[in-house]
Formats: sequence, structure tokens, C-alpha cells
Amino acid sequence: MLKYVLKRIGLAIVSLFIICAITFFAMNAIPGGPFNGEKAKTEAVLEVLNARYNLDKPVPVQFYYYMRNLLHGDMGVSLTTGRDIKTTIFESFGISAKLGIRAVIVALIFGIIFGSIAALMRNKLPDRLIVFFSTLATAMPSFVLGSWLLLIFCLKLKWVPVFSVQEQNIVLPVIALSLYPMAYITRLTKTSMLDVLGQDYIRTARAKGVPALKVIFKHALRNSLIPVITYVGPMTAGILTGSLVIEKIFTIGGLGSKFVDCITKRDYTMIMGTTIFLATLMVIMNLICDILYKIVDPRIKFE
Amino acid sequence: MKKLTATLLAGTMAVSLLAGCGSTAAPADTAPAADASAETTADAPAAEAETSGNPSNVLRLCLASEPDHLDPALNSSVDGACLASNSFVGLYTSAEDGSIVPALADGEPEVSEDGLTYTVTMKDGLKWSDGTELTAKDFEYSWKRAADPKTASDYGYLFDLFARNGDELDVTASEDGKTITWNLTAPCPYMMSLLAFPVFMPVPQFAVEAAPDWETNPGAWAMEAGFVSNGAFTLKEWNHDESMVYVKNPNFYDADNVKLEELHFMLSADDTAILAAYNAGDLDYIDSVPNDEISTLKEQPDFKVAENLGTYYVAFNVNSKLFDGKTPEQANAMRLAFNYLIDRDYIVENIGQTNQQPATSYIPAGMSDGNGGEFKANDADYTFPVEDGYYALDTSIDEAVALLKEAGYEFDENNMLSDATPLSITYLTNDGSGHVAIAQAIQQDLATVGIQMDIQQEDWQTFLNDRKNGNFDVAREGWLADYDDPINMLEMFASNSGNNDPQFGVNPTSAAPDWSKYDELITKIKAETDLVAREKMMHEAEDMLMATGAVVPIYYYNDLYMQKTNVDGIYATIFGTKYFMYAEVK
Repeated sequence: MLKYVLKRIGLAIVSLFIICAITFFAMNAIPGGPFNGEKAKTEAVLEVLNARYNLDKPVPVQFYYYMRNLLHGDMGVSLTTGRDIKTTIFESFGISAKLGIRAVIVALIFGIIFGSIAALMRNKLPDRLIVFFSTLATAMPSFVLGSWLLLIFCLKLKWVPVFSVQEQNIVLPVIALSLYPMAYITRLTKTSMLDVLGQDYIRTARAKGVPALKVIFKHALRNSLIPVITYVGPMTAGILTGSLVIEKIFTIGGLGSKFVDCITKRDYTMIMGTTIFLATLMVIMNLICDILYKIVDPRIKFE
Repeated sequence: MKKLTATLLAGTMAVSLLAGCGSTAAPADTAPAADASAETTADAPAAEAETSGNPSNVLRLCLASEPDHLDPALNSSVDGACLASNSFVGLYTSAEDGSIVPALADGEPEVSEDGLTYTVTMKDGLKWSDGTELTAKDFEYSWKRAADPKTASDYGYLFDLFARNGDELDVTASEDGKTITWNLTAPCPYMMSLLAFPVFMPVPQFAVEAAPDWETNPGAWAMEAGFVSNGAFTLKEWNHDESMVYVKNPNFYDADNVKLEELHFMLSADDTAILAAYNAGDLDYIDSVPNDEISTLKEQPDFKVAENLGTYYVAFNVNSKLFDGKTPEQANAMRLAFNYLIDRDYIVENIGQTNQQPATSYIPAGMSDGNGGEFKANDADYTFPVEDGYYALDTSIDEAVALLKEAGYEFDENNMLSDATPLSITYLTNDGSGHVAIAQAIQQDLATVGIQMDIQQEDWQTFLNDRKNGNFDVAREGWLADYDDPINMLEMFASNSGNNDPQFGVNPTSAAPDWSKYDELITKIKAETDLVAREKMMHEAEDMLMATGAVVPIYYYNDLYMQKTNVDGIYATIFGTKYFMYAEVK
């Protein structure tokens, strides 16, 4: 196990390096630059800025400087605002994660419950209802959902303000963030549970007279969670790092909008920072998932 | 896993390459209003123009998303100028009627007879928000800092007209810190306008140089809440990309007249969310609304429009392949034909929608002539060719066809381009529903004589890059004036200017106009001491520019905003700067 984890970490570092390289060269290949604007900067100013951020050097040299600084723990400052990249990423990740963790928990709990109910009551009314709503929730784009929530709860019912510096609106974005993964988990759980319920060992357990609830929780559910876990890893990384659309609609200063904004602005250091951060998070989540497989299903062997 | 991350990255980049969106912070990108996410438009109903249930000493507003810089020397956006003007104040400031009035200065400046030396006496007892004394020495420091290329201020070039002692700006504060004196290289009719501009506001040296890495990161001192300022409000809280809370500065020179205790800013560029917050009564003032809501909202009493000093226009690349084989005169005629084909009234009425004034000249209506009058007006010294512009607003296919014939194009009896001489052009624009709608309107107008126009949409940065490098036939353009003088909008077409998108004088082709005279003219205008002659030369420059047809003005900008009816005392300048310090919530 330890050997496996170490090997995975080694591989992760290699893939992170490759990701860094690809991103670095790709972003430099897109036309435009961080210091372009509707009103042009003067030559003297451009010269100072390019020299300050090493942009006057060839791209491979810039990459070398960037990686060297990165290994020293220095991700640089944003080329647009001058703010420290690490601080910005961790601050906004904190905000996204605060909402994201709640959303993941909500999605997992309700997704698994609804999925199990749907599988166990197959073709009955609860199943039909769950399938209907989960299909609806998977099909609805988040900007529609977010706008609807805003319209109903903020404008019509006036339960929560759209904007307030005193109380941050948490409930609505959490709902908006969790609905899609919840629906997806519901469907995954249902399919996989149906599959497991048809397996021989379930029949054996039932035949042995194991109580129905125990069959479901100990034998069926546990095994049917494997596909869910596969999905939950990257999903958690995705939700924790925020959603562009939800953050824009609910005015949340999370990480989600930074991923896109920094590319629009060609804020090179920020592009690298967010990419490395997301990639690292993905790698960690996948590793955790692999370890979880083993815990859920002891038959799985790490090679 | 690798695959997923790579896909994500590739996806994001592809999105930015193909779609992306316009930067909302771009100063001249203010109109058409809705650049941002048009597809997120919710069915937010147009609420009655109700008043808000707001505690009376707090004003809640939304101007734009997160500002890049709060240091007035580093700011380059219009919303940033509003923030700067409410938390900093210079020697002079804008009054509600648009006049420039003394702020930290005690009365008007003393100007030498040749107009080159200015001396300003400061008011007594001025303080920074932390109580530290504020003197003329702070101005000397701040101006020298802003002009220094190492500070990398976008507007540092505004100090170019100052005389220099070696590398340093010729600005001196008196020993007692009461007066400040500076010398110019040429008289500057718009000096007062500059003195109210953010880059001329003071910054506290003790705070600026206390920030880590301040030499390589000049704005570091004003990146979090709590920095020292000298304006009506100081920043108390800043939740990045979410909100800002400004509180009244008791040390502001005019604090007695500031009735508000707090300003709460929502930091958002999502027009739909902003309008929702306004309709829900959570905001008292908003600076943008979704484009497709304008027609419903504009009937409401809380929907307002302020005039701006700027022009939305279309520019040709004079070196474009379009003009291959033409003489410069023919190329001019070709471009001029567009003036007679584009239906500006239609664009203003259906796309702009806020009663913008259709443009008949490049220099916008309302701009001063640097000599006490309005530039776009006929007077003793200058008469415009057609009324007060360069062409009549009514479209005229006959005129257009005549010009195109001059350029060697043939037409059939229905005034349609003959197949023997087809003309097809590509129109470059950034994404943004308004810009694209204008492009489509122009496309239709050109089709009436058989000109084929393709619209090429690019993401903001790619667009800027292509436009700057002359990779286009025709591109959408816009300029919001920085100060009230035509030279601001004329000097950008000098061949060495960074904003010379039409590529005048840059590796000219045989069809491009000879631009050396224009360059000479700009240099002369900048050095001219006689204001009458100066105005004359500026008209001459605009004449030259308009004669090339490379600049096709569409309309003059204005600025829409919504303000609850129980809010009073907010005013805006023609540069788009809004002042909130004298606002009242009743």
C-alpha cells in the first residue's frame, strides 16, 4: 500500500510538471498579453513592466524562471493587480471550499439516499418521482437554476437579500452547486445498486435470512458505491474550486471565476497558479479515491 | 486524471480563444452596455421605481467588478476613477455643474503670463485619514512618483507636458509645505481638468514606502482595506470580488458636508445579478443594466442617462489589402462612402437605446476647444463642412455610390455593385451583444449597395492584439476622453502612438495616406502657445483625419445608470466619474 501511494505521488509530480509546461507554453501562444488595454500603455511603461515580470525574455527562459521560483514556493504576483498569487488563491479557495464542502455533503447524503430509494422501489411512484427530478436537475444549466433561485427567493419571496455586506448568502449557492451532483449521484447509485441487488451474494444473504436492512446497508450499498466514489473524487475537486456561473450570479469571490477571468485578462502568473492548484487538488482527490476503493471493496488489489 | 485536467485546461483555453468576453474594466468599452453574459438574463421583472428601505446614512451601489488598483496613480478604468475620486482628492475637484473647483487648493492657481508656471497655495490644516499632516510636499512626491516609468502608471504620460530637471519632474513644494509650483513646456488649456484627474491625486509616501516590495510592486500599499487616503471615504472592508465598505473620513477637508457614513459596494459585472439586487431593494445605485432590459427600464423615473465625452466609431486599417492597387485618393473615397451608408439613427435607437447623439464628427459634441468655446461648433475661426459636422446624418446611397465609383467600382442601374468589381470586407469586433448588433446593422446597411461584409468576433485580448497590430480591414473602436481637450483624441492617431490602430504612417502601402503632415501638426499643437492658433490646428487635424475616411464615427457615448428616487446628490462628470460624497438617502 505504502509503496503504491509513493509511486502514485511520484507519478503525480511528473504529471504536474507536464501540466505546468503545457499550460505555460499554451498560454504564451494565445494572442494578447497582460498589458494590453483599450488604451495603450506608453513604450516606457511597457518596457518597465515586461522587464519586471521577465516577459522580455524568450518563453523557455521565462518558464525556467517560473519553475525555479515555484520550487522556492513563490508563485509571483498577479500581472493585473500586483496581488500575491498564493494569497489570492488560498483566500478565494477558502471561500469556494466553504460553500463547496456543504454542497458536496448535501449532494452525497441526498444522492445516495434517493438513489437507494429509487433502486429499492423500482418502478414505483417514489422511483418515478426521483428519476423525473434527477433528470430535470441534470439537464438544467446552472445559470438557469441560479437565476431561478435568485428570482424566487430574493425577488419574489424576499427571504434573502441578493446583496448585503452584513450577511453572506450561503443557502442558495449551496443549493445551486449541489443539485447537479446530487442528481448525478442519485442516478449512479440507483444503477449500480440495481446491478448489485441482482448479484448472487445478495441472493445468498437473503436466503441465509440476513435482515433486509442489513442486506441493503452492509452488502448492497457498500458495493454499489464504487462508481459513486469514482465520480465523487473529481467532483469534489470541481465543486471545492468553485463554479464560475454560480459565483457570478451570487457575487461570491471564490476561485471558480478566477480560472476564467485570468485567461481573459492574460494574467499569466494567475493562470499558472490556478492551474497548478487545480491539478494538485485533482491528483490528491484521485489518490484518495483509489485508497477509498480499497476500503470499500477489499477485493481490489493495488498493483 | 491527467486526461481530465488536460481536457479542462484545453477547454478553458479554447473557450477563451473562441468565445471569451470583453473586459468590463476597459474604459472606452462602456457602451453598448451589456458586454457581459447576455445568456444569463433572468426573467427579472421590471419592478416599480420603488424606494429602498435603507438606513439613511448608508449608500449601497454597484459600479463594476473588482477594481484592479485603488492607488489613484495606477488606476486606468472608469469605475476605478470613481473609487479613487471618492477616497482621494487632489488640488481641485469636479463640482456638480461640471466646473473645476478648488479642493485642497486655496483658490485658483496663480499662472504666469506665458501660461507655463503654476503656483497653488494649499488650504490650512489638511490631514491624511490617519491624522498625519498633508502638505504640498505630498503632491510633489506623488506627481514625481506617478510620472516615473518605474511606477508604470497608465496615465503617467499626462505629466509629459511638465518641464523636467534632468529626469525629474519640475515640481517644487515650498519649504513650509504651503505652496506648490510647477513648470510646463507649453501652455496647457486643460490643466484644470487634469488637476481633478485621479493620477494627480496625492498618495501618502509613508504608507506607500512601508509596503513590502514597494519598489517593484508600487500598488502594494493599497491592495487591502485600511490604507491611508485623504478623500471623503476610507476603505474599511474589502472582500475581494464580493464587496467593499467605505466609511466616512473625519479628516476629509470638507467632512462637514458629507452626510453619508458608509458606502457599500457590490463588486459584480453580472448585469442580471446587479439589476436583481437593485430591484430587490438591496442597492440604491447601479451603473449598468442588461442590454435587453433597457427598453423596459427606460420608462421608469429612476432610469437616468448622463452625457459622456467620447465617441463610438469604426476604424479602417489604412494598410489593409482592401485598398491594394488604389491610389490614396481612391482609398479615401472608398472609406468615405461608409459615412453615407451607415444608418446611425437606427443604431442609436435600436441598439444603443439611450438617446445617444449620432456622430457627425470624430471629436464629440460638448468637448471644449481649449479656448473657451465648444470644439464642435461653428465660430468665427472655423466652419464645419456640413452644419456642425462632416456629413449629413441622412444616409445617401447616391453619394456613397458616387464615391465608390470614384474608387473604381462599377454599379448596375439599381445602384448595386456589379459582379465585375465585387467588394467584400471583414469587420472585427470583440464579443459583446451590443458590439455585434452594431456590426450586424452596418452589415445590412452595406448590403444595400451590394458590399459583402463578414463579421469576425474575437475574445477581448485577441481582439485588442489584432486591432493594435493592424490585422483587420475594419474594426469597432471607442474612446472615452480622459480630459476635456481635443488633443486627447487627436494625438492617438499620430504614427508613433500606441493607439494608432488604423496604422496611419506605419509602413504605409501605396494606398495609405501620407501622414507626416499630421504628425507634424500634432507636435506643433502640443507646443503651440497661442490658443487661437492651437484650436485652428486641431480643426485642421480633425479635417485631415476625417478626409481619409479611416475613422467612421457612429455616436457619442452616454452613460446610463439607475438611482432610487429617494437618493439625491450623486453627480457624474462627462468622463464618467461619479461623486458620491455629497449624496443623501432620504
